[in-house]
Order: sequence, then C-alpha cells, then structure tokens
Amino acid sequence: MHNTLTRIQNVFGFFTSVAFAVACAVAVSVFLHPQAPQASLELRNIQVVKGRPHYYSTKREEYAHVKFDLDADLTSLFSWNTKQIFLYVTASYPSSKNPTTTPPSESVIWDAIIPSDYSPFHPNTYIHPTTKNTKKANKKPSKRDRAASKPYPAGGSPGIVKLESQKPKYQITDVSGKIAERENATLTLHWNVQPWVGALWWTNTKTYGLWQGREGGAAKFDFPPLKGTEVKKEDLKTETGGERNRGSPA
Amino acid sequence: MDQLLEQARTIWEGEIDFEGQKLAELLTYAILSISGVIAFLAGYLTQNIYNTLYIGLGGTALTFLIVVPPWPFFNQHPQPWLPSKSSGQAWQGISIEVDGKQVS
Repeated sequence: MHNTLTRIQNVFGFFTSVAFAVACAVAVSVFLHPQAPQASLELRNIQVVKGRPHYYSTKREEYAHVKFDLDADLTSLFSWNTKQIFLYVTASYPSSKNPTTTPPSESVIWDAIIPSDYSPFHPNTYIHPTTKNTKKANKKPSKRDRAASKPYPAGGSPGIVKLESQKPKYQITDVSGKIAERENATLTLHWNVQPWVGALWWTNTKTYGLWQGREGGAAKFDFPPLKGTEVKKEDLKTETGGERNRGSPA
Repeated sequence: MDQLLEQARTIWEGEIDFEGQKLAELLTYAILSISGVIAFLAGYLTQNIYNTLYIGLGGTALTFLIVVPPWPFFNQHPQPWLPSKSSGQAWQGISIEVDGKQVS
C-alpha cells in the first residue's frame, strides 16, 4: 500500500473478490423466490402432408403441421435475477416399437424468447399477438409499433402467454421421412429460465423447496394419416411473429 | 529540470507513511465489503438487479477515489530519518538495536 500503483492493484483485487461474492449471493437468492408455473396446452389441429425439405430437393417427406392453444401463467419464473425465459413447445413420439431401449424422438414446433421488463430491447424477443385489430396486423408493423409491442398480452406481465390456434414456427418430420399415423405422441411445454447471474434452470416437474413443478402443459395426441397430395407443405403457413433474424442467431 | 522531474516522480509514486498504509488497507476492505452488502440488499429489496450493479460499481469508484491518491491524511505520521553519520554529533542519545544487539 506504499505507493499509488500498489493501492490500485489492491483495491481492484479486492473488488473482484467482492463482485464474485455478491454474484454468488444473487445466484443463490433465487431459491427464496417461490415458483408455481401453470400452463394449459392443447392440440388445436394437426395435418400431415407431403413436402420437400428445401426448394431444390428431390426428396419427398412427410411433414406434420401442428396448431395449438396455449394459456400459460409463468409470471412466477420471473424473479429479480431473471433476464428472460426461453419458452418452447415440443412434439415427442416413440421412435421405435420398443420404447424401453430407445428414447422418444422430440422436435420443437414453436418457441419464444420472453424478456423481463428490465431487459434491454432486442429485436429477437417475442411479440405477443393482439386479438384486436386483426385486419391491421396483416400490415407489416412499423419500427415504432414494434418497439412499443410487448411479449405479453395487454394488461399482463412477463410470463403470461395466451395463444389461440397458434400456427407452428417449424413443420416437423422424422429422420425416416414418415410421420403419419404415429401413436402415443405428446405435446409438451418447456422452458429455460435465463438469469442475469447464476445457473440456467430448465423445466422442472417436481417440487423442490419453494419451487413447484410445472402444472399442466402437456397433451397427448396421435398423428393423423397423410392428407394425400392435394395439400403441400409449402401451402401450410408457419408463423414467426414480429421477431427478426429467424434462423440466424444474434 | 531535475527538481521538476523529482516532483513529477513524487506525484506519480504517491507514497504514504506506515500509519497511512495501515489506514488505506483498512479503508479498502471496509468500504468495498460494506458497499457489496448494501448493493445486494438494495437490489433484493427493490427487486431490481440494476441497483445492485450500479451501487456496487459506485462503491468501488468511491473506494478508488478515497484510497488511491496520496491524500494528506495518509501522511500524518512521517517516519523521522536518522541524522547523517558525517555530521559528527550524529549518534548521541540514539541507540539502534538490530536483532536484539546494540549496534551503537
């Protein structure tokens, strides 16, 4: 501590220790925040059609187009240390006749990044659709509209999601190219809670301390038979909402 | 010119006395620890992590400001030098011990 340089080094050194200790305390403090996520996820409509993976492909595969209803209250996942949650819906189905030895296949059909109110604006975050002004919604939203739009319905808070007859973001297929008439499939809601500091938490279905598991958020269904050749994959629209940079991470 | 360089060197090195060094160390640990605790509590009570961040960084800036410059209160106990040997009357009335042995 005898000269300026030593004092700078000592102060900075101890600052890093304090910063680490505070960060640890913040990371652990999330256990004091009770969680009780609830969701109701239902299959609305499902079609299996023929299509090609991309425009120039000569391969023809079966694609499932799943529409769903989601009514979720995940507000309790937002503690003071939550930056955003990554919400996604998967369709999973047994990949073989023997489900005890082979794990099921799982494909994501829809996802959304829901930021907390304190997160800085980012164009890739989810914009919740509004039920009113459906005619207006067909127009491309201006930049100001986009900045003002929220990741939850009007009057809600982060974690509220109310979707009716939501189109998928991704049409799914199997490695074999055959997905029609598969049975015992499940539609499931999952999430990642991404913190400012600390661990990334995945969906839990059991109760740990103050954290209750997910209530609801799964639906059983069977894949229907193939819908002939009159409907093509390209004709079934998918939806990305107002998010930018689809398929190219920020 | 030499004098000027000497002054510049003094400012750059910013040396403080022994009592000042003790005080500087105490201040470093005290202010940083307390600001860390306050930062956490303020953020937790307001449920806004930005408060934690900015109070923590503010406390650190304050610590740098208080501890790093050679403030006058770090130089309140200057160590007296021994008189030079060549000035004759040098060692009278002063006893120096090294490892328990009388040197002069």
